[in-house]
Amino acid sequence: MFNKILIANRGEIAIRIIRACREMGIKTVAVYSEADADALHTLLADEAICIGPAPASESYLNMERILTATAVMKADAIHPGFGFLSENSKFVEMCEKCSISFIGPSAEIISCMGNKAQARKTMMEAGIPVTPGSKEPVCDISEARAAAKEIGYPVMIKAALGGGGKGMRISYSDEDFDTNFFTAQRETILAFCDNTMYIEKYIQSPRHVEIQILADKYGNVIHLGERDCSIQKNHQKLIEESPCNAISEDLRKRMGETAVKAAKAAGYENAGTIEFLLDQDLNYYFMEMNTRIQVEHPVTEMVTELDLIKAQIKIAAGERLGMTQEDIRINGHAIECRINARMAGTITNLHVPGGKGVRVDTAIYNGYKIPPNYDSMLLKLIVHDEDRELAIAKLKSALGELIIEGVDTNIDSQYDIICHEAFAKGEITTHFIPTYFELTKE
Amino acid sequence: MIKDMFKKVINPSTAKEESEVNIPEGLWKKCNKCGQPIYTDDVKKNFYICPKCDGYFRIHAKRRIKMVTDLGSFKEWQDEPVIHNPLNFPGYEKKLEEVREKTGLSEAILIGKAAIEEHPVVIGVCDARFLMGSMGESVGEKITAAVERATKEGLPVILFACSGGARMQEGIISLMQMAKTSAALKRHSKAGLLYVSVLTDPTTGGVTASFAMLGDIILAEPGALIGFAGPRVIEQTIGQKLPEGFQRSEFLLEHGFIDRIVEREELREELGKILGLHEKKDYREILANSEENKKRFESPNRPSEMTPWEKVELSRKTDRPTACDYIYRIFDDFIELHGDRYFGDDGAVVGGIARFAGIPVTVIGQQKGRNTKDNIRCNFGMPSPEGYRKALRLMQEAEKFHRPVICFVDTPGAFCGIGAEERGQGEAIARNLYEMSDLKVPVLTVVIGEGGSGGALALAVSDEVWMLENAIYSILSPEGFASILWKDSKRAGEAAKVMKITAVDLLKLKVIEKIIKEETPANQSNIEGLSEKLKGDIREFLANYMNLEIEELLAHRYNRFRRM
Repeated sequence: MFNKILIANRGEIAIRIIRACREMGIKTVAVYSEADADALHTLLADEAICIGPAPASESYLNMERILTATAVMKADAIHPGFGFLSENSKFVEMCEKCSISFIGPSAEIISCMGNKAQARKTMMEAGIPVTPGSKEPVCDISEARAAAKEIGYPVMIKAALGGGGKGMRISYSDEDFDTNFFTAQRETILAFCDNTMYIEKYIQSPRHVEIQILADKYGNVIHLGERDCSIQKNHQKLIEESPCNAISEDLRKRMGETAVKAAKAAGYENAGTIEFLLDQDLNYYFMEMNTRIQVEHPVTEMVTELDLIKAQIKIAAGERLGMTQEDIRINGHAIECRINARMAGTITNLHVPGGKGVRVDTAIYNGYKIPPNYDSMLLKLIVHDEDRELAIAKLKSALGELIIEGVDTNIDSQYDIICHEAFAKGEITTHFIPTYFELTKE
Repeated sequence: MIKDMFKKVINPSTAKEESEVNIPEGLWKKCNKCGQPIYTDDVKKNFYICPKCDGYFRIHAKRRIKMVTDLGSFKEWQDEPVIHNPLNFPGYEKKLEEVREKTGLSEAILIGKAAIEEHPVVIGVCDARFLMGSMGESVGEKITAAVERATKEGLPVILFACSGGARMQEGIISLMQMAKTSAALKRHSKAGLLYVSVLTDPTTGGVTASFAMLGDIILAEPGALIGFAGPRVIEQTIGQKLPEGFQRSEFLLEHGFIDRIVEREELREELGKILGLHEKKDYREILANSEENKKRFESPNRPSEMTPWEKVELSRKTDRPTACDYIYRIFDDFIELHGDRYFGDDGAVVGGIARFAGIPVTVIGQQKGRNTKDNIRCNFGMPSPEGYRKALRLMQEAEKFHRPVICFVDTPGAFCGIGAEERGQGEAIARNLYEMSDLKVPVLTVVIGEGGSGGALALAVSDEVWMLENAIYSILSPEGFASILWKDSKRAGEAAKVMKITAVDLLKLKVIEKIIKEETPANQSNIEGLSEKLKGDIREFLANYMNLEIEELLAHRYNRFRRM
C-alpha cells in the first residue's frame, strides 16, 4: 500500500480523496495555487505545497511543478481527481517514467479513449453497439456532407477530441449542415488545435446513462450499475441518480455486461465510466469512456455501499478486487444535486443539511473566499432512500434546508427542477432542461 | 486556524520509510529562450520547437536533413577531410580534431544530393556545433564544389545557413571564401538554375554577406538572428541599445530582404512546392493539346448606360474584388514572395509564383484593402518605390525561369509622400517601363479597378492589356485633371467624360485589347463567374504568346507602344 499520496486537485474532490486516505491511514500531500492558500484541501491534508500562481495553467495543470512537488514531498502516488490532469496521457506517461504510481489507468488507455474516433473504433471492434456514424474521422466539408447523407439526418457533428459541448452541433438537413459544420470545426480548432470532426446519427430525446466499472490489474472487471445523468444544461450535468428508472433488471444486466466487455476490450484498469445513450425504445449506444473518477460517483457509492476512491487506491497499489459481480447489490435509490456558484465571493453564512441518508461533499466553509479562477461547483448534495419517490422527498427537504449566503447560487433553480411534475414521474431525457426550463436563467 | 484543530490520523503500522521519487535525468530541459522547464519528448516530437514559447532550437545538420528530405534519399558528397591552417594559427589543428571527434562531422557543413518531395536537389546544411558553423577554406570549398557539380548536373541548390560567419582562425583565406562561393552561385544562376537559401538562427557576418543572401528565393525560420554585424558589436559601436526584434527574421521580412518566413514543420512541404514550380519542362504542350482553348467568352461592345463618372465610382467601391480575390481563384499553389531586397516590403503590391493550368507563372497585383486595418497595410493600393522594385525583381526572376507574368492593376496612383520621393518613386516607375519593355517572357496586364496614371503603367508595359468593363485607366484621377485644367476638383464628373477613361473608350483608342464583361458590376457574389471567364481568356493568351519566338514577342510588345 502507498505511504503518501499527493492529490493533484482542489475543491470537494480533493477533500473526498484526503478523507479516504485519512481513513486508510495514508499520509496526504495537498498541492495548492496562490489563490488556494486558505482552501480546505490545503488545510486538511497532512502536508501542503504551493505550486504556483492562481491560473490553472501555472498551477494545477503544470505537470513539471506537480511532479517536482511529488519528488520533494516524497509521495509515492498521485491521485488526479477529475478535470485538470486526470485524463492527460502525457502526464501519466511522465509519472510512469518517474516511477510514481498514477491512480488511474495507463497513459496508453487514456490516450486511446480520449480520442473519440479511436475509442469508437475500439468499441466497434469489440462488438459494442455505437451510434451509426462515419467510420473514419472527417476533416473536409465534402467528406462530412457525404457522411451525413449516408447516415441520415438529423446528425450530430462532433470534435474528435471534444468535451463539454465544445465543437458540437446538430444538423437537421443538408441546408443547415455546412454552417453547423464550419461553426463546430472552428470551435474545435480554437479549443483543441485540431480540425478532426466526427459525424454521427443524432438520437432524439435520449437518456444519458452511464455504467460505473471497476477493473483490477489482473483482468477482473465488474460493473456497479448505472447512473442516469440526463438532467443537463449545455452538456453540463446538473442532477444525477442511480438506478435509472427506465432500466429493468434485465436491461441493467445486459448493459452492465456490455460495459464490462468494453472495459476488457480496452484492457482497462482502475475505475472508469462507460457512457451510453439510451433511446426511447431502450436501445443503447456507446458514447465515450471516461478514464477517471466522476463528479457523480457518490450516487453509485450510496446504492452499492462501496467506497470508489478507496477502491481506486487499492487497485493502483496492486490489490485484487476481492469481489465478484454477484456480490454487487443495488439498494434503494440515490440522487445527487450539484450546487454551483454564479459568481466569485465570500461565503458569509453556511448551513448544510444532515440526517439519515443525506451526504454533503464540499470544500466550502463559513468565511471561505471563492477564487474566480476555477470551476464553479461549490457543493454536492446526495440523498439515499428506499425508492425514488422517497429519495426525491428527502432531496426536497434537504435542499430546502441548505443555506449558502454571500454568493449567488443555483439552489433555487435546482429546487424547481426536482419539484417539477415530469421529474417526479421520471420522464427525463437530455432535453428536460430545454423543454421545461428554456426561459429560466440557469 | 482550523488547520491546527484537525486531528492527525496516520496509521503508525502502515507508515513506512518515506519513498524516494526519482525523476530521471534529462526528462526535462530548460528552454534557453523562455526559461521554462520543457519535457524533452515534447521537443523532439515538435520539430525542436519549445512547446511553451514556440522558440526554435538550433538543430544538427543530420537532423535537419532528415526533417526536410525524403526518407533515405540523402547521399553525402564526401571529400577527403583535410586540415587547412593557412595562418599556422596556434592550436587550430588540435581544436579541429577535437571538434571532429565530438560532432562526428568532418567540417561545419554537410552537403550532398537528396530528394525533397521527389524533386532531386543538392542540399547543404551548416552545423553550429562545429566552430559556430563558420566558413573557412574547407566549408567554402565544399559549397563551391557542390554548386559547380549542381551546375554541371543541372540541379537546384538549397543551402541552410546557420553560421557565425567567416572563420577567424583562417584569416584572409576565409574572407576569400565569400567571393568564391558567390562566384560559383553566379555561374549556377546563369545556367538558369534555382538556388533557395534558408536562413536559420544564427546567420551572420561573412555568410550573410555571401551565399546566404543570394538565393533566388530566400526563406527564413521565425525569430532567427540574421545580420552582417552582430548586435553586440553594433551596440558597442554606436553606443545605443538596439530595439526589440532588431535583426530577427521578421525585421528582415519587413525590410525586404527575405521572401518568406516559414515555420519549421512546413518547411519540407514548402520547399517541395517551390522545387515543383521550378521544374524544367516544356509547358507549351499543355496549352497546345488542350480542348479548353475553345472555350471563348464574348467581349461586349455594347454602349454602356452608365456615365463615365458612375464607372469611376464603381471602380473605387470597397466591395469590388481586389487583386488577391482574383489571384486565389484563378491560380493554384500561390506562394507569395516578399521584399525588394533593398529597403522594404510594400503591402500595396502582392506578388509571387503560382500555377495556371499546371504551368508555373509569376503573378503580381496591386492590392487594396476592404477595411482600415487592411488599408493601412496596403496603403490604399498606392505603391511605394519598393513595391515597384519588388514587382521588377519578381519579373526578372520570371524571365530567368521562363515563366509568363500576369499583372493585376488596381491603384489610385503611385503613393505621393516624402519617403516615396526620397527613395525615387519616379526612378522606380521609369525602371519598370524600361525593363518590362524587354522582358523575355509573355506579359499580360488586367486592369480590375482603378488604373491610375504612371502607378498603373509601371505594371502595364505588356503584350496585352485588358480591362474589366467597369474599370478605368487614365493619365490621372478626374479630380486631379479638373483641378489642373480648370482649378476646380468638383468638376471631376465633367472631367471623367472628356478624359476617355472607360474600357470602351480605351478599346477604341487601341490602348487596350480586350474588355472583360461584367454582367453586373463586379462584387463578392459574382467574382467566381468573373474569375472563370478570366481563366478562359488567360489560357488563350498563354496559348498564343508562349508559342511566339522571343524576338517576335519583343517586337510585338515594342510596336504595341511604338504606334501610339
